[in-house]
Amino acid sequence: MIALWLLGTALAGDWAWSDETVLRAALDAELERALNGLRLPGEEPPYWIAYDVLQGEVATVFAEAGAVLTQEQVPHRQLRVEVRCGDADYDSANFDALGEPDGVVVGGLPLEDEPLALRREIWLHTDRAYKDAIEQLSRKEAELAREDLLGPAQAPVDVLTTPASVPEALDPQAIEDRVLGLTALLAGDPAFEEVAAAGRDWQGVRVTRTSEGMAVSRTTGFAVVRVEAVLEAEDGSRVRDGRWWVARTAAELPPVAEMEAEVLEMAEWLRGLAEAPVLEDWLGPVLFEGPAALEVYRQLVAPEVVGSPPMREGRGPFGPEPVARPRARVGRRLLPPGWTVVDRPGADAAGRMDLDHEGVPATEVVLVEDGVVRRLLQSRIPAGEQPLSTGHARAGGGDRREAVPTNVEVMAPRASSERSLRRKALRLAAQTGQDRVLVVRLLQPPAMTEDFDVHFTGEGPPPGLTPPYEAYLLHADGTEEPVRSIAFHGVDRRVLREVVAVGEPTGWVGVMDAQPGPQRFFIGATGGMPAAWSGPPILISELELQGAGGGEARVVPPPPVMTTGAGS
Amino acid sequence: MFVNLLLLCCAAFAGEDALIDLARAELERTQVALAESEEPPYFLAYEIVDRHTVRLLGSHGAIGGRSDRRLRSGDIDVRVGSPELDNTHKIRGAGWFAEEDRSRVLLPLDGDPRASTLALWRQTDDAYQAAVRRLQQVRANESVMVDREDTSADFSPAEPVVDLREVRDVELDLEAWAGVLRRVSAAGLDHAHLLDSSAELTAVAETFRVVTSEGTSVRWSRVHYRVSVWVRTVADDGMELQLSDYVVTADPDDLPDEAELARRFAQVAERLQQLRDAPLMEPFSGPAILRGRAAGVFFHEVLGHRVEGHRQKDEDEGQTFTDMVGESILPPFLDVVDDPTLAALGDTDLSGHYPYDNEGVPASAVTVVDDGVLEGFLMSRAPIENFGRSNGHGRRAPGNAVVARQGNLLVRSDEVLSAEALRQALLDEIEAQGKPYGLLVDDITGGFTLTGRVVPNSFNVRPVSMWRVYADGRPDELVRGGDLIGTPITTFSRVVAAGGELEVFNGICGAESGWVPVSAASPSLLVSELEVQRKEKQHDRPPLLPPPGQEAP
Repeated sequence: MIALWLLGTALAGDWAWSDETVLRAALDAELERALNGLRLPGEEPPYWIAYDVLQGEVATVFAEAGAVLTQEQVPHRQLRVEVRCGDADYDSANFDALGEPDGVVVGGLPLEDEPLALRREIWLHTDRAYKDAIEQLSRKEAELAREDLLGPAQAPVDVLTTPASVPEALDPQAIEDRVLGLTALLAGDPAFEEVAAAGRDWQGVRVTRTSEGMAVSRTTGFAVVRVEAVLEAEDGSRVRDGRWWVARTAAELPPVAEMEAEVLEMAEWLRGLAEAPVLEDWLGPVLFEGPAALEVYRQLVAPEVVGSPPMREGRGPFGPEPVARPRARVGRRLLPPGWTVVDRPGADAAGRMDLDHEGVPATEVVLVEDGVVRRLLQSRIPAGEQPLSTGHARAGGGDRREAVPTNVEVMAPRASSERSLRRKALRLAAQTGQDRVLVVRLLQPPAMTEDFDVHFTGEGPPPGLTPPYEAYLLHADGTEEPVRSIAFHGVDRRVLREVVAVGEPTGWVGVMDAQPGPQRFFIGATGGMPAAWSGPPILISELELQGAGGGEARVVPPPPVMTTGAGS
Repeated sequence: MFVNLLLLCCAAFAGEDALIDLARAELERTQVALAESEEPPYFLAYEIVDRHTVRLLGSHGAIGGRSDRRLRSGDIDVRVGSPELDNTHKIRGAGWFAEEDRSRVLLPLDGDPRASTLALWRQTDDAYQAAVRRLQQVRANESVMVDREDTSADFSPAEPVVDLREVRDVELDLEAWAGVLRRVSAAGLDHAHLLDSSAELTAVAETFRVVTSEGTSVRWSRVHYRVSVWVRTVADDGMELQLSDYVVTADPDDLPDEAELARRFAQVAERLQQLRDAPLMEPFSGPAILRGRAAGVFFHEVLGHRVEGHRQKDEDEGQTFTDMVGESILPPFLDVVDDPTLAALGDTDLSGHYPYDNEGVPASAVTVVDDGVLEGFLMSRAPIENFGRSNGHGRRAPGNAVVARQGNLLVRSDEVLSAEALRQALLDEIEAQGKPYGLLVDDITGGFTLTGRVVPNSFNVRPVSMWRVYADGRPDELVRGGDLIGTPITTFSRVVAAGGELEVFNGICGAESGWVPVSAASPSLLVSELEVQRKEKQHDRPPLLPPPGQEAP
């Protein structure tokens, strides 16, 4: 495989741009031309233009059972142009006219610093974005009066300028070594019918230039590795489990030995599940151990602390009035009294960020105090009750720059030891006549779930929790009985108020994320934006789960290679 | 360095193939394992395709895209039931979801035995269980529905073949080509009317391995190099106009050099300028000459798709020619052959060349039309009435079920007119019909055809270079914005004369079994009546500002 990597490197080696000088000059030149001359007859010129260039290099590898399925190392240089027409109080943005073009255009840029070649792409994209913005403004004006809006067209910001940035070095070999090594660990184990892994190293810079005078650059990137194993349970169900690691660079991923230990631990757990019963029905207390609790926070807390309001929508073909969408609200009780939630962009974790995608400094925000939502994460999208950006705008491609959590710390009062927490859980179960409690060790991250019911149930933040990867029944005598193939039923943010006990908090755990909502389910194994969460294990007084077992047992016996030790 | 690395990675020689051995072992193990099952598979096949794609794109003097991708995928074909009635049988009256389940799997690039075997095993098991489920539906559907019109079997026998040919890969000096593409594409900056332009090199190497339970083991490689130039502009009325030119070869040494590529770029840029200023074509019906490439695409769309075997059996298809074997469907001076065994026609390599189809059946030349009379159909291993065997035209892109497809469709004429005589014949037709003009179509971008029964059985061929030809001596006039439309039987009855030299169109054809490379070659044809409809039109103003670097001082 080394030869293949050498090949990829040889091909990708000479595209590199030396610095941002040529790019910035091209952006400046086209910005100036657009501001001075871009105008359709009888229409207003643009009042605001923003260029955002994401340039870097990405290496991606997929592997199975210790062998590479695909690998690629490619340069990436993408331009996002946003043109707004109207004025600072009412403009063409933040309106959805059934998906019509809205003044945001995304396209590739030349991979080399050829000034005229760069400028031509910027010129064409700006022209397209301006024409789209003019039409979008007219659609918006036809349906929304100025007084219907939440305030100015976008939040004011300090206009910053920064010097050029130098991206972190890409280390594709480190990613490939891990992906291959981690899957090879289980390649000779006859228990597993599939052991797959994916990894990506993305390193680059983001350059933002706006007509307000902003000209900033910052490094950006992440390294992610995911492993998933599948085995067949006795009833034919496929049982899956996974592990993942996210860091800012490949060098910041955990040591290989640590990752291997986690995979072996996962494998041990999965083997136990092969003969585990399907828990057909559960109504009672549920204890979420550390990693599972973090996923609960991510799925249930994040939508309640992101203040970017839903896009205003035009009248569709099925009704004259826009549909009300759920939204985060200051003053809502989200957690029990005494709880605090803080977003810390400066923390040394996967979601670290100095400037957001709009060039706004990312600030620490106390989101929840005493269990009540006090502030929300904001981008420059106008939000009535909290009008200024907190510097959390992030989005992929041409998506709207909504706020996305960075490093979120969830803090609770009166932490119990693990032993105490389990005792409390059993006592709570005993109150309802049960001699056991359900413990969830790990939840499937949305990007890896196969349960589409979770996210096709509505427009807003998806209700519910993704199914557990790992869960067991803790019996009163202390024994642990793994259970499998279960799914939550009827869960929403209100269950967070039913937290009755907490454990010692975990450290930061990195995740790949997207805006709270259906997008989280579509980022795939290696996509999305890095973030991190920390918080304590939690005991919730009552949750409902239902069995989701069943499957089609293999009829062709496994091949001999599955049972003959190490791989090739 | 580049070539050496490729050889290091991919060296494989005729007569040995570990991947085929591995696939055969897994296939035979599966057969044994399922032999006593309620529905044992009567046929199993693996097709494993290695695809290596290298792409370089130059635009306005800079490299704008660069990629190098390798993928190894496996298609698994499982048949349960019997050759007379099996799980692949069409379920009549069913919706989209009753289509046959397809199983495709990614396999390790390095052929790792454990990972490869595991992946094949999982997918084979999935495919087998899906096949058993579908066979139940097929049987019920046969009971519920009226008798089929075509009672032929679902699968035909084929002689096993063992032939392992040399594996080939892309061999290019990419750095040298990057320089060429930069320099050639920089010319786009000199043409004020061009909004976009590029020069692109794509190389695709594919190695096909087919292993069947009947004993077939074949391996062969195909490498295509394609270099192209492309230009785009917008006319003042908003119509978007694009032109391209390309060369496809099987040998990188046959690719055009920088001077030739620059000449082609300049040519399409100049033609685009003329087209931008050309008048719009109005709806028209009258005589036309289709030059060779245009005529090739015309035959590919209008005849070629309608002689694909599976369409003769599917009662949802229009079946234009199903019952016309032995009847005259073209003028007696025309022959049509589909011959995938041809690697080149004159100096031009043919994209539709292959030695074995995707079912492992040797490709063969098929006489479709002889002296204007329909002789036969292009066949995969799905038999039809009176055509019980494959003639090596079962094709697919990975991930699709095989159906009969075209390879190299060649149209030949026994009666040849010189270019001048053909033009004079056009002028005569114009006068005879009292038309204001006739048409000369000398280049097209492609086309499509509708073959079902619910929709009109029509075709649309899309010219990019079409001229009005006047009988009164006025010079030919370039026009834009017209598509050629019609229906097959009527149109074929209007072919009245042909030129001599065959011109080749190399392209990619998309149909039920995915995108496959094809060629179509034909002499120029005179058609006494062709219909033109207005082409769809965009409405955007050209850019408001002049291109960068071309601002007024």
